[in-house]
Amino acid sequence: MGSQSYYDVDAILTDAQKVPCTFELTVPGLGYLEGNMTGDIQQGSKVELPLWLGEMLALRHVQPSYVFLFKRLTLPHSQSLNTSSLVTLDHPSALAPRVLNALKADPRTVDLRALAPHFYSLGARILDLFEEDDMVHVLSETFKARAAVIAGQAHNPRGALGEGADFMRGLDETERKLFRDAHDSAKAVRTWITDLKKK
Amino acid sequence: MALPLPPGLTPPEVAFLCEMELVSIIPRQRLDSLDLLGGSIPALVPPHKTSVPLWLALLLKRQRRANIVPPPWLAPPWLTAILEYETEHPDTFSPPPRLPPAPGDHSIVFSPPFLPQSTVEAGPDALPYHWLELGEMLLEAATDDFEDGESVRRLLQGLREVRMAKLRKRTETLDEPGGIRMNGIGGMEVAEGRSFITGVVDGLRRIRATYEEKRRERGTEDGAGSPRTVDDYDDDEMETQLTS
Repeated sequence: MGSQSYYDVDAILTDAQKVPCTFELTVPGLGYLEGNMTGDIQQGSKVELPLWLGEMLALRHVQPSYVFLFKRLTLPHSQSLNTSSLVTLDHPSALAPRVLNALKADPRTVDLRALAPHFYSLGARILDLFEEDDMVHVLSETFKARAAVIAGQAHNPRGALGEGADFMRGLDETERKLFRDAHDSAKAVRTWITDLKKK
Repeated sequence: MALPLPPGLTPPEVAFLCEMELVSIIPRQRLDSLDLLGGSIPALVPPHKTSVPLWLALLLKRQRRANIVPPPWLAPPWLTAILEYETEHPDTFSPPPRLPPAPGDHSIVFSPPFLPQSTVEAGPDALPYHWLELGEMLLEAATDDFEDGESVRRLLQGLREVRMAKLRKRTETLDEPGGIRMNGIGGMEVAEGRSFITGVVDGLRRIRATYEEKRRERGTEDGAGSPRTVDDYDDDEMETQLTS
């Protein structure tokens, strides 16, 4: 993950966001993921798992001996054993085609925070897993268009409170940091100029 | 991990660097030449115009021992002309002062911020690198040396807003090849725009990281065909061994 450090809170929170997963195998004793405390998790059941777990289960190849064990334990003859991973990942609802279409239409009006507090980080992680050229373009265009608005708001002292308030509430964490940076640097220059007058 | 200061220079640091720039003063008192680490300062003889570093000029001005001569570009007509240029060209900043011809082998080469051409000998038609800091500091310390300080202040404010708006708009045009033309931008503007622009660039890079990596891989694969054929050859050989 390069720049993301082990203690990066944002990276940890991104990892905790849920993604829909479909189990490819029946796993005994994992029913509690579905809220079924004692039972098994059935093949084909859809569960929302945190990204870190989903990613691990989807990418880790199942050892043949384990598959054999599952077979012995559960005896599901219909179970297809040619799949090599436990679950298949799906796109999280925050990156559903509906959302991408809305972003294509007008990036400024979408409330990213309601979709996912770490929208862009989640997007970057998903793009690590899936090859989606279209999503790359939509996300980078969105980021650029919204960054321009954020810069405007950061330099306009009334913008963040007045008509821009709705937009500001919809910023995800990356964008909030961007806003804070832009605001702080403008403030530093203003402070320097006022300090000059005090001397 | 968490440094108290953001990367880059803070506004007071930029202003500190700006104090090395030379400005012209008209001394009111005599002062012998000073040999300082940063170079010697010529003797000050009252009615003669002399170039001294800004910090010394401010000090002498505060002690009422000298008057500062504002640089030629820091006058309403020229600033108005530059402001007009800035508003008429929404895509470019007004060009920086022309660089002097390359010096001979035996002379000291100054880096661009500290050229005499940027301040004392600056042409009136361009903003030097430290225009904002220099302008603000001179206006603050030596308002009475300006003919029309108030309109200079207003014009500087206008220039600052126009240019910062342009700088922020640049990020929208930040495209795949990457790069923002910032010719003619000043030191304080860099300090102000740095964290936002680098934030946008970093964000975009994170989104596009995997995409770019794959594209690069695809590029190298297309470019270098020979290693792949070797691999294919090995595979074929293994298959024939298995089947035979």
